[in-house]
Amino acid sequence: MSGLAMSAIAFAVMLGLIFLRMPIGAAMLLTGLAGTWIVTGTAVPVLAQWKSLAYDTFSSYSLSIVPLFLLMGQFAAKSGMSESLFRAAADWLGHRRGGVAMAAVGACAGFGAVCGSSLATAATMGQVALPEMRRLRYSDTLSTGALAAGGTLGILIPPSVILVIYAILTEQNIIKMFVAALIPGVLAALGYMLTVAVYVRVNPEAAHAAPRVPYAQRLRTLIGIWPVVFIFALVIGGIYFGLFTPTEAAAIGAAATGCYALAVGRLSRRAFADCVLSAASSTAMIFFIVLGAQALNTFLALTQTPQAAADWVAASGFSPWLVLAMILTCYLVFGCVMDSLSMILLTIPVFFPIVMALEFGLPPEELAIWFGILALMVVEIGLITPPVGLNLFIIHSLAGDVPMSKTYRGVAPFVLSDVIRIVILAAFPVITLGLMRAMF
Amino acid sequence: MVGTSQAGIAPEFEALVGRALGRAARALAFAGGLVLTAIAVMTVLSIFGRSLVFAGLGPIPGDFELVEAGCAVAVFAFLPWCQFRRGHVTVDVFVSRLSPRAQAFLAMFGNGALSIAACLIAWRLWFGMLDKFAYGETTMILGMKLGYSYAAAMPGAAFFALVCLYTVWRSLNETIRGREVR
Repeated sequence: MSGLAMSAIAFAVMLGLIFLRMPIGAAMLLTGLAGTWIVTGTAVPVLAQWKSLAYDTFSSYSLSIVPLFLLMGQFAAKSGMSESLFRAAADWLGHRRGGVAMAAVGACAGFGAVCGSSLATAATMGQVALPEMRRLRYSDTLSTGALAAGGTLGILIPPSVILVIYAILTEQNIIKMFVAALIPGVLAALGYMLTVAVYVRVNPEAAHAAPRVPYAQRLRTLIGIWPVVFIFALVIGGIYFGLFTPTEAAAIGAAATGCYALAVGRLSRRAFADCVLSAASSTAMIFFIVLGAQALNTFLALTQTPQAAADWVAASGFSPWLVLAMILTCYLVFGCVMDSLSMILLTIPVFFPIVMALEFGLPPEELAIWFGILALMVVEIGLITPPVGLNLFIIHSLAGDVPMSKTYRGVAPFVLSDVIRIVILAAFPVITLGLMRAMF
Repeated sequence: MVGTSQAGIAPEFEALVGRALGRAARALAFAGGLVLTAIAVMTVLSIFGRSLVFAGLGPIPGDFELVEAGCAVAVFAFLPWCQFRRGHVTVDVFVSRLSPRAQAFLAMFGNGALSIAACLIAWRLWFGMLDKFAYGETTMILGMKLGYSYAAAMPGAAFFALVCLYTVWRSLNETIRGREVR
């Protein structure tokens, strides 16, 4: 049997197991293990490899950035930064029709600058912004939709856990990925705000304008967001100017956020334990999937699947744009049922060599970064689409009495804005790559 | 207690074991979290030292190695807690139409698969540790024996396997009762 056929069967079996509710990491790990065993015909090399594989994976210096960023996000969620961000954004935007929803989106973007996870962003901002929008009698459809969509900014705006993992998998420079993600992330926030503006124009009863706030107060609340600006500048600026490595930056970010939360009296012993245990659970989940991906990749490399798939696509004569569109569509479809990180880890070993073999007129590094940003944006749509949009569930659990159907309807215009943005970013790589080219 | 919650294989004992394992997993995860916090603090101190070289200070020697070892130990310590909390990602959408009992039954298989993986990881880590000790492998800068880092990771790995096996039992009882307790 050819290597390609064998890995096709392995993928089918693995997806079957995953769809029958086997934890994704375990399915990848066991499939990779069994596959390697079958290909080599003996268990000896596998068993020898596993003496050090788990420890080596968990002790990777570049991966240690992940738990540190997760801890930083947890501290940020406790620190009250979300309140000051929302306060400032609402003072500046609230007097417009739908302005508080726009403010919620803007505050999500700001929170994304200190938090690398979408779910934490949606949960934290939801707690702050949802009561305020209800007080101002915003429609449930608009407020839940805007918050669920705004939550995805947590991962689009650097630091971002998925971008870190993508960069490690594909051996790209993490800070270049972060810089490249900046403009698409800001465009996403602006796109969502525009969506709110259009939505309230079409449905004027959905939102009311809050009274205008005097400029003195606006400036005061704007100054209140200094910790977010400071920490973001410290983390991203520090890596960019070569002052410290990404892992060191994450450690500094976690320490600074923790100290700030402590200083404002929000980090009691109990809150600290909450932060640590939440970060622990997410870390274990992510690292276990990464370990599963390692096992799977060993098997794929043995069968030479990535190379064969890339050669096949290159020889098939398909237009590169068609192949890219197919891959992104594939992410969109799978994103509806699978979480984004698992999907990236599962597909990158095969999709990435294929993309790198295509000709878009970009140097390899730029192609890798541009594709990473596009893939990230597409998989994040899965967070706000039924049936398993996790952000929707989080907002739903915060807004208990709002029926899920209203949230689904509310998020639809934001999904449309996502799709339009992705098409634009795919058509004009310079939007993503321009800032990076200018800065490096 | 209502009658149905009593069903299952040694349900009271299972609940007791669950409480004990849960508490231990939580404590282990918290200890791992302290290691992680210590890594962050150590890194910050090291950077301060590095920036104050002119004042006679310097970076903490081998800070990268400490980060690597600490991270591995912390992650191993986090695994049992994640499993106990049902924190590993699954795709539930295709089975959501099934009865709660069938879902619990599938969860039992999922936990079985995790148990196999966890036992394998712990078993191989143990032999990996013996290898590292036997060859006396050390880190580049600090000369730390890698065997000790493996040994520090071992409790997490072993406990992960134990918690996985327990969750198979928990899922079995939930299958008998006909629903999962989230």
